[in-house]
Amino acid sequence: MILQLLAGNLIHGLLLGGVYGLATMGLSLIFGVMNVVNVGHGAFIMVGAFITLTLFSVLGISPVLAIPVALLMGMALGFFFFYTVMRRLIKAPELASLLATFAIGILLEEVVKLIFGADFRGYNWGLGKIVLPITVIPLSKIYAFIGSIVIALFLYFWFSKTRLGTAVRAVVEDSEGARVCGVNVGWIYALSFAIGIGLTVMSGVMLTMFIPVGINPYMGGVYTLKAFVIAVLGGLSSPYGAFFAGLIFGLIENGAYVLFAQIPGVAPFPLTVSLAFWMLFFLLLIKPTGLLGKK
Amino acid sequence: MKKCYLTTGIIFLVLFGFLLTTNALAVDKVVIGHPACLSGKYAKAGEQAIGGIKACIDWVNNVYGGVLIDGKRIPVKYKYYDSESKKEGVTSLIERLITVDKVNVVFSSYSSGLTLAGAPVAERYNMLYMDHGGASDRIFQQGFQYIVQTIGPGSKYHVGTLNMFNHFDPKARRVALAYEDSEFARMTMRGAEEHATKLGYKIVFKRTYPKGVTDLTPLLSDLKANKPDIVIGGGHYEDGQLFARQMSDLDINVKGLSLVASATLPAYYKALGGRTAEGVMGPSHWEYGVTYSAEGAKKVGLDWIGPDQDEFVSRFKKALGKDMIPDYHAAEAGAQVLAYVKAAENINSLAPDKVRAALGKLKFMSFYGGWDVDDTGMQIGHSMVDMQWQNGKRFIVWPLEAATGKLVYPKPKF
Repeated sequence: MILQLLAGNLIHGLLLGGVYGLATMGLSLIFGVMNVVNVGHGAFIMVGAFITLTLFSVLGISPVLAIPVALLMGMALGFFFFYTVMRRLIKAPELASLLATFAIGILLEEVVKLIFGADFRGYNWGLGKIVLPITVIPLSKIYAFIGSIVIALFLYFWFSKTRLGTAVRAVVEDSEGARVCGVNVGWIYALSFAIGIGLTVMSGVMLTMFIPVGINPYMGGVYTLKAFVIAVLGGLSSPYGAFFAGLIFGLIENGAYVLFAQIPGVAPFPLTVSLAFWMLFFLLLIKPTGLLGKK
Repeated sequence: MKKCYLTTGIIFLVLFGFLLTTNALAVDKVVIGHPACLSGKYAKAGEQAIGGIKACIDWVNNVYGGVLIDGKRIPVKYKYYDSESKKEGVTSLIERLITVDKVNVVFSSYSSGLTLAGAPVAERYNMLYMDHGGASDRIFQQGFQYIVQTIGPGSKYHVGTLNMFNHFDPKARRVALAYEDSEFARMTMRGAEEHATKLGYKIVFKRTYPKGVTDLTPLLSDLKANKPDIVIGGGHYEDGQLFARQMSDLDINVKGLSLVASATLPAYYKALGGRTAEGVMGPSHWEYGVTYSAEGAKKVGLDWIGPDQDEFVSRFKKALGKDMIPDYHAAEAGAQVLAYVKAAENINSLAPDKVRAALGKLKFMSFYGGWDVDDTGMQIGHSMVDMQWQNGKRFIVWPLEAATGKLVYPKPKF
């Protein structure tokens, strides 16, 4: 019975981990390129959730089709906030960009609250389920996982095989060197910020495919915290590291529960959450740059 | 010369005393202060509370005529700020309301955690602190002198629910308890566990989950393995939606499912896309359709004050400018205004310590139901009801004498 539970939870953990990974890639990309910690990260995830909800509930559009819409809207938001706020703060002290992204997060929350109100919302896609002997998996979770993998692979090929992707990597390595080589660093900053926000908003769609309830203007806070842990685990400036760390985080979150539940008198769920932080603590002791981070 | 100084001094003292007395007599309004949750996690409950308070203030000022103090009717004013559903916001705003706005009474924020955070501040200023949103029993175990509760204690939330299941299906004995790890829900779980044990239920599963949880799959898979007949639990809002959604995802079908807080909100059914919410139940302090009335109060020997149910609903809609039926968060906040007015009138004073003492002796009924507190200020006079979602509508199914519909049991499958 324990093994059956463990196996079932690991499957769910892997699926959720893929979505967590995608949700963190945007944060890592923005930090890697601009050295900006986006404290308002969760608010952009929330925007993605509301895009999905609105398209599905009002227009009857499938969450799968909400993915490109979210990417475009996220990138538009990214360009907007880059040219109005972030561009001025690239060379400013880190505290300035921290406060700015914090403010952007609050602004987004309040605007969404003004439009949609503070109700906890949700939608019911009702795609069906796969019944395995060890667990039951809703198809929407599988779609969300596959979608996250496809997007992560697409980003990987874009970074490694295209000129623009190479330029972004060059700016991550050495922005001054890239400038000397003729790369328009200002444009790369803007594009990277927009892609980072686009990815984050898109991950909001994936998260609602996984968990289609509790959609609320203030839902992002908990994801911001998780994304920071995953980003540090994977290496702050490495989007791929973030994706793999997301998978590990999901597996730990779900898998460790079963093991802790075997200890009498222990509340396994809070311990499971703390385990991820303990793992982060020890990893930083051994490898301060994170799993795939470079020195 | 000395005589002249003495005379001047006496005249000054008399004048000062006169001014003080006149000032005391010249109270021209009662001000209720409230660190409300306009934004943040509890914004929805906060909006409801503001609507309920405004509705009852509207009734007191425009129908009742104001609060009768020293033979004069004075209006009630309402001063509130946004606490952002944060403890630090609550504590600093209570201080501001008392020292800058000079309010006569402070209403707590929503949730046990925020209510508990604000209590020591009100206590420091000897300020009456009325709790309409903090249900944890622990608030009343700290020795606070100025706190009085309108919402019922957390430990009682699932007592009626268990009585109901025991009444309808004495053979279903396997109960699972799964609650949020929050101040309020821990207390609810303790009360439920004690009562379930007393009724002879077998508790086959008992776990908590952290606040802000985004995935309950591990806990629910574990719960499923224990094959319960009845599941009771929950915490606040998003977790309650997640609970039912993921029970449905994992095909966990039980005979009865009751979740605190979230299941009683109108948005719950819509958020779950209808079918998943069918048959889900929740304990509630008030539901539209309860039958409290002035005649009913008379029958049980209680004073009645305030609007009837429909008048409250209409004033609530006017206060918020929205066409929505209030939920229990609005009703309990509104009833608290009525309790304050009644106590102030009974003692003919607005002094916080005197009104607190009067509240301790107060027993009355309003559209919200009975109201009475024990020595610690904890609510003991109000009875809860249990509601169930049936075909998209909420019906009161317990207690039987208050029921507006028949219990659907066992709960329809997800």
